[in-house]
Amino acid sequence: MLSQENNIMLFSSISFLYYFLPIIIVLYFIAPKRLKNPVLLLGSLVFYAWGEPKYVFLMGSSVLLGYVFGRLIEKYRKKRAGRFFCIVSVLFSLSFLLYFKYADFFLENFNAVTGLSVPLLYIALPIGISFYTFQLISYTVDVYRGERAQTNIISLAVYIAMFPQLVAGPIVRYSYIAGQIETREHSWDRAAEGICRFVIGMAKKILLANQLGELCSAFRASGEKSVLFYWLYAVAFMLHIYFDFSGYSDMAIGLGRILGFRFQENFNYPYISASITEFWRRWHISLGTWFRDYVYIPLGGNRSGKGRQFVNILIVWMLTGFWHGAAWNFIIWGLFFSLLLMAEKLWLLKALEKSRVLSRIYTLFFVMISFIIFNARDLGQAFSDIRGLFGIGEISLVSAEALYCLKSFAIVLLMGIVGVTPAARKLVGCISDRPTGGRILNVAKPVILAGLWLVMTAYLVDGSFNPFLYFRF
Amino acid sequence: MQKRKENMVVCILFILLLYGGFLLCLLMPGPRYLDSERRVPAPAPKLTADAVWSGRFMEEFESYGMDAFPFREFFRRMKALTAGGIFQRQDNNGIYVADGFISAMEYPFHEESLDRAAERFRYIYDKYLTDENRVFLSVIPDKNCFLAGISGRLSMDYEEFEEQMAAKADFAEYIRISDLLERDDYYRTDTHWRQERIIDVAERLAQSMGITLSGNYEIHEVEQDFYGVYYGQAALPLEPDRIWYLTGGAIDNCRVYDWQNGRTIPVYDMESAKGRDPYEMFLSGSLSLITIENPNASTDKSLVIFRDSFGSIIAPLLIDGYSRITLADIRYIHPDLLGKFVDFEACDVLFLYSTLVLNHSDTIK
Repeated sequence: MLSQENNIMLFSSISFLYYFLPIIIVLYFIAPKRLKNPVLLLGSLVFYAWGEPKYVFLMGSSVLLGYVFGRLIEKYRKKRAGRFFCIVSVLFSLSFLLYFKYADFFLENFNAVTGLSVPLLYIALPIGISFYTFQLISYTVDVYRGERAQTNIISLAVYIAMFPQLVAGPIVRYSYIAGQIETREHSWDRAAEGICRFVIGMAKKILLANQLGELCSAFRASGEKSVLFYWLYAVAFMLHIYFDFSGYSDMAIGLGRILGFRFQENFNYPYISASITEFWRRWHISLGTWFRDYVYIPLGGNRSGKGRQFVNILIVWMLTGFWHGAAWNFIIWGLFFSLLLMAEKLWLLKALEKSRVLSRIYTLFFVMISFIIFNARDLGQAFSDIRGLFGIGEISLVSAEALYCLKSFAIVLLMGIVGVTPAARKLVGCISDRPTGGRILNVAKPVILAGLWLVMTAYLVDGSFNPFLYFRF
Repeated sequence: MQKRKENMVVCILFILLLYGGFLLCLLMPGPRYLDSERRVPAPAPKLTADAVWSGRFMEEFESYGMDAFPFREFFRRMKALTAGGIFQRQDNNGIYVADGFISAMEYPFHEESLDRAAERFRYIYDKYLTDENRVFLSVIPDKNCFLAGISGRLSMDYEEFEEQMAAKADFAEYIRISDLLERDDYYRTDTHWRQERIIDVAERLAQSMGITLSGNYEIHEVEQDFYGVYYGQAALPLEPDRIWYLTGGAIDNCRVYDWQNGRTIPVYDMESAKGRDPYEMFLSGSLSLITIENPNASTDKSLVIFRDSFGSIIAPLLIDGYSRITLADIRYIHPDLLGKFVDFEACDVLFLYSTLVLNHSDTIK
């Protein structure tokens, strides 16, 4: 599974930036309008095949099934057969996901419960299968709900396989993007907007997330853990996962913009949230809304009383956790959030409204704990990491290694902490509102972007391969 | 209008950077050798159906792309300067500069690696040595031992390291030399120690092994600048080192035989001194098995040194007291093969290893 991840063409890699991207952009823009989607599809298949040539066929068959079911659902929409085809198409999509992602998890647990030793399958996880499966389900369900089915299979394949969001989202909803697949505008302004977003996303990933990842790795490898080190790790991982994933989303949104698309936003400063409820409105928005619209509301949402609503929340969050990975810690992670959300719905939200500071501390603390569970190898490690935060056990308060890491990563951590707030955006807004400031920004912006590009190239040339965290999902 | 102009500039700059880089990647030939890292760059992968299908092509292409990237050294330097200057990182890929010296942050202490090294040494002891052999062990601390403390970097507990190694290899008499060494005994840009500054170390070893050295040496300077192995890894603009070497005593008359290549070699290979790695001038660098013979020896005692690259510098200084010194590098030759070439009968044996190898002993066969 790891080797599969290692082969993937990362946005932050030399092969993507200096070989794939220049070629696909030139081919895309010189192609006449009617050929833009085929060029984009071809490029996306090359992009996908770069990591997993064999699984191109799996994705192709998913698209084909989606296309056939979409047409059937549209044809029989008003009849019971429409509902039947919709269910079958969702089951087909989920069966691929279950087989490739979860088969060994189920077998392991089956073996553990029954005492049998059914051999594991050791199936390599197809890159992006969790994302494109959800997009495919979104397509067929949207068609069932009244959206027009796609008659052009290339257009549908573009929706599923488009390289900017193929392997790590955002999960683009069919109803949202259907029109853009058919017609979209290209302009210097849109391209410039996309370039800025792409470069900023890449900076988040290469300059912040990767360095914070180094700190997390140093913690994990250390045999000299201390309370300070546990806290450093917890904070660093919180920042790491945010910059890694939101950086990738920015790159995807930016690339989409260059190509004329406008994808949904995926993050909105989640760490300034005053509650877990708000946090999930700001974190991985495309996944949260997907579960809301395709699972929570169909289950009944909050329409059938508190008890039923809580059961629905429990189901949705267990699935959300399970979506992130085939391991118990992900399920516990999801359930942990479901408990917090239920508590907030019952009384906590009102209590939190009384203090802006305490509500934020509460949110950050529980999000931090959740990510410790999320990133643990297993539940044992998760509990050990949480105990470490509070100095439970024979753990020293500080260690030489922790102090060294604090010193060495102080600027990165500081940049990260500032970067998760809208402070920089507000500052840029303030400067650009003044006439002189605006003129300075006009000159500085391209220079800063070019400088960032060169520095990031320098990090790539010097560095090793850095897979994105979210590729394992 | 102003906004539109700004957007045009952003797009044009992006196009220039993207396509400038693309064309340079395509047209500029990659280096044949990466001097600063002393390695051959990853070759361009062959485009075959099998390579693509297995994913090998893509994997190798990324390594090739990084190694063959135009102006690679410029970019590596830019990264090192950004990491140290802007992000204030205390090390860059584990390498740091303190007081003009470059060092690797050798940390943490891998006890299991020490176990492995001791186990391999014991294998040799059990296979070849008897009570007639006098067996010694000495550990050479790496430069980090002397720099980390003063510069606030991480370091192992070197005393503990030595004590554990001595205890694990209890069949050997331990000779402590770390108290004789200091920062200036090492090259500023390289891992190794300097021959002209370790005469006292050679004397300590000799004294412990019961031999006498003449101690009359002449110091010579190699004209070539020496950019050590850390220089390339640090990728920072720093002054090069100079190499000095010692002649005199038995060194001038001894004969050196390279068993690996079946040839006679000089003690100091002045051609190598002008090459890519000038440190290879000392006993021709990393060779698995060599013999130094002292035709004017007043004794028939012989010494076998199991060593790493640090041994190449000190072995010539010890030849005064022996008729023959054999240097075996068991990272390159399996101990089982040594019996064919080395006569262990009644010889002295010295295991002389740096902490750099002992703390990463996977390479020892």
